[in-house]
Amino acid sequence: MKARAASTLAMRAIIVLVAALVVIPVLWTLISSFKHTVDIETTPPTLVFTPTLDNFLYVLNRASVRNALINSIVISASAVAIGAVLGLPCAYAVARYPTRRAPDIQFFVLSLRFLPPIAVALPLMVIWLDLGLYDTRIAMIVTYTLFTLSITIWLAIPAFRQVPKEIEEAAFIDGYSAYAIFFRIALPVASKSLIGAIVFSFVLVWNEFLIALMLTTSDARTLPIVASELSQLGFDTPWGILNASVIVLSLPPLMFLGVLSGFLNSLFKRNA
Amino acid sequence: MTILSVLALVPTVDAINIALQNRELSSPDSQYVWFANFIALFHDARFLHAMWVSLIWEILTVTATMLVAIPLAVLLFEFTGPAVRNALCVLFIVPVLLPRVSAAFVWKFAFHPLYGLAAYPLHLLMGHPVDLLADPYTAMLTVAIVDVWQWGLLFSVIIVKLLETLPRQPLEAARLDYARTWEVYLFIAVPMLRAPLIALAFVKMVESLRAFDLIYVMTRGGPGVATETLDMYAYSQGFIESGLISYASSMAVLMMAVTTIAFTILWRWAR
Repeated sequence: MKARAASTLAMRAIIVLVAALVVIPVLWTLISSFKHTVDIETTPPTLVFTPTLDNFLYVLNRASVRNALINSIVISASAVAIGAVLGLPCAYAVARYPTRRAPDIQFFVLSLRFLPPIAVALPLMVIWLDLGLYDTRIAMIVTYTLFTLSITIWLAIPAFRQVPKEIEEAAFIDGYSAYAIFFRIALPVASKSLIGAIVFSFVLVWNEFLIALMLTTSDARTLPIVASELSQLGFDTPWGILNASVIVLSLPPLMFLGVLSGFLNSLFKRNA
Repeated sequence: MTILSVLALVPTVDAINIALQNRELSSPDSQYVWFANFIALFHDARFLHAMWVSLIWEILTVTATMLVAIPLAVLLFEFTGPAVRNALCVLFIVPVLLPRVSAAFVWKFAFHPLYGLAAYPLHLLMGHPVDLLADPYTAMLTVAIVDVWQWGLLFSVIIVKLLETLPRQPLEAARLDYARTWEVYLFIAVPMLRAPLIALAFVKMVESLRAFDLIYVMTRGGPGVATETLDMYAYSQGFIESGLISYASSMAVLMMAVTTIAFTILWRWAR
């Protein structure tokens, strides 16, 4: 019995270790973002330092970062909004009025994700160059809408299927039109999963890197691109500033941690 | 739907179209050179090397992710109470929510040979600073660790959720037959989850193909070309070094073809 208790303890120690592997690097980055360069560039790494807000002030006052922050917000928000407005009715149609083609459509939408991003980015770049829209927010919004739309549709179809048909039939008998059923019954009932799907599409485009890198050069650059370029400031890598920019960049997706973890739960509970 | 299909098809068709020309970044004029780009690719040692690197990267990250995720999920399922488990499940999806650029910097900082938290124990051990990202032998492994840090943990959470949905009777029956804990999981639980596990591995394969940002931030394909995957090489050919858009595009088309064929075969085989 003693051996068993010992092994349980050992296994729990492994779990704690893994948890530490998640927390410590992220926490360390957070701590270091409040450090002066002198306190960062020490061997061994130190925990004793006078905190400073300089790094954050520098990052947020830099014109390129500000511009990128606004770009990221405008582009992500528009792409997510358009994706939801067009994608949700589309998903509802596939879920409620199944045709023979429905599974094909579903698979096709998913297969968009299989393509290597570089294979999507290169031709898009040429298209936007030819249209004279290269490095504009419009081009980025349209491009990202491609992603948000496909993800929203893909995740919203099962969410709409879960809405009990009986409720909709009852509404139909009460004289609701098809549109009224969609807006006043299906949307509210499925809202929890739908919000999860929409948030997921937001995180996806907010974090996107390669396509933004290839489709923008200065005006429409998004935050991940600008953050990645901060490492090339001057001769030495400015780790304090870099850490601060990492924190700024990571906050929006982490704000949705609760929503997404709930969404993940519901996604897998359903299959049971 | 039609709009979406058109939107999706246009880039694909266009990629093939561009790949057959000799377009460059500096000038908009171009002629059709048909398959010259593809022929040139197979005489390009750096391309063949990038293909090899990509293959190793795929195999390494997919296996490592699954090998971390499954045992970790079993540990979580077996040795934690529901409250702790749920808290850990939330914690373990943090890495994957971080933008790739952020995750890359977090770890690049941790692996910094002089100031890094993760590099310091190595420094003590070896007696001199160790730069894992500058060594061709360890660079890919180090980047792979970050990839597994993001995806392995997410997958362990998903597998825990799947384990929770399994019926308890077969597992309890096995225990009554004095099966050891690891035997219960290896011979009963994992086979019961075979289909979702294969699907997860499949997702990871697709996802590993898009590790560009991670590699770009951590090593830029270096040291030398040690971590230069196909998309890194296509990017540097198309933009940084020469602006040969058509050449890069032919690479992308080839990648598209190979991955489509490989995934279709794998998918059929798995079923």
